[in-house]
Amino acid sequence: MRSALLLVIFGGGLAQTTFAPALRIGDITPDIPLVMVVLLALRRGPEIGCLSGFVTGLLQDAAGGGFIGAQALTKTLVGFCVGQVGGRLWVQEPLVQIPGLVALSLLEGIARFLLLQIFHFPGSFGDLMLYIVLPQSLYNGVVGAAVVLTLAGVERLRGWPSWR
Amino acid sequence: MRVRRFVLLVSVLGVCLLLLTLQTRGEGATAGQVVALVTTPLQTVLTKANRAAVGLWTTYLDWKNVRSENRRLRGEVEQLRVDSLRVRETEDENARLRRLLTLRERLPLATVAGEVIAREWSWARSLTVNRGRGDNVLRMTPAIAPEGLVGRVVEVRSGTSIVQLLTDPASTVGATVQRTRTPGIVEGEPRGTARFKYMARDGAAIQIGDLVVTSGLGGVFPKGIPIGRVSAIIDRGSALFHYATLTPVVDFSRIEEVLLLTGQTAQDLVTYFPGDR
Repeated sequence: MRSALLLVIFGGGLAQTTFAPALRIGDITPDIPLVMVVLLALRRGPEIGCLSGFVTGLLQDAAGGGFIGAQALTKTLVGFCVGQVGGRLWVQEPLVQIPGLVALSLLEGIARFLLLQIFHFPGSFGDLMLYIVLPQSLYNGVVGAAVVLTLAGVERLRGWPSWR
Repeated sequence: MRVRRFVLLVSVLGVCLLLLTLQTRGEGATAGQVVALVTTPLQTVLTKANRAAVGLWTTYLDWKNVRSENRRLRGEVEQLRVDSLRVRETEDENARLRRLLTLRERLPLATVAGEVIAREWSWARSLTVNRGRGDNVLRMTPAIAPEGLVGRVVEVRSGTSIVQLLTDPASTVGATVQRTRTPGIVEGEPRGTARFKYMARDGAAIQIGDLVVTSGLGGVFPKGIPIGRVSAIIDRGSALFHYATLTPVVDFSRIEEVLLLTGQTAQDLVTYFPGDR
């Protein structure tokens, strides 16, 4: 189980640079590791959420050639927070999934921008939000909802208890 | 439990901040290299897997496209084949009607064009034509095709007529060999040919391939309409008459339209028909 978990975390972290381009719409790709961290945190709690956020973020930082640790930090926070409050959310409800993931993605983007300001990141907040963070957040919402619904469908089909 | 969670969070955040701090102090390259040491092999494997999956998917899509295109093209070929047959059919019909119209315009007597709507092809040999009483068609009206004689009308109905073919065993037509002017009578035979009978012995100069035309005697058929060509001469030795077997100039199995000669003429019509004489 642990090896499967590790595989999911590492695979998800690296999927962003390998599989995500295939899902590109215009210039926007979904943040697959973020979606994965959120889903893992909801299922496994804050510790796994925190660790998976750290590993996937770190892998993304390394693969992207940016500041190593920036995405690791923000995704760690997202994983932890979602794991903490996730028990109170009814995540199979699409009305919760889509806006929830969009909001989390937006928050992660804002947090990353604020963090990078310490290191004098040159991008403008408005442009980043408008052209990258907001469209990607919407895309994440759709991808996340699709994944949750697929998982729920598979579980129902096999007679398993709900994945939550 | 709750404390452990927060300790974990703080530790992880600490590592992140440490990594970030190291980078601001120029140690970023080392940190990046350490992380890359782990990620590069994994990325390579994943990229290969991705490429293989994409390759498979592309192959599948290509195959699917080729299959659907093949199906579409097959349908298109079928449709084109049907269209081509239709065009050929129309062209054939056009050519036939053109020949019939040309003959009709040239003939010096009144005619009515009729379409063959049925055939009787057993004991009796006849055609049903879509012209009847209202079209000025009478019993004994001759029926011709651009090649020559078809037969005569033996029954007239309100919208149709029955044309007895000259190969019907009950059909007799007064005829003459065009080259030798040998007179005789053409009778139909059950096997679908015709026989030129009552040919006097002194007319034996006829040859295979000679054209037999209507004689104009008897008042039913105008003179000079081609009937058939001599395909065999049966000489009975001492008999008073001998006969010849004819191959009709008209292919009755393929005839689609006929001209019904509703008018009369005493003129020899042989020059109005095509073919070498």
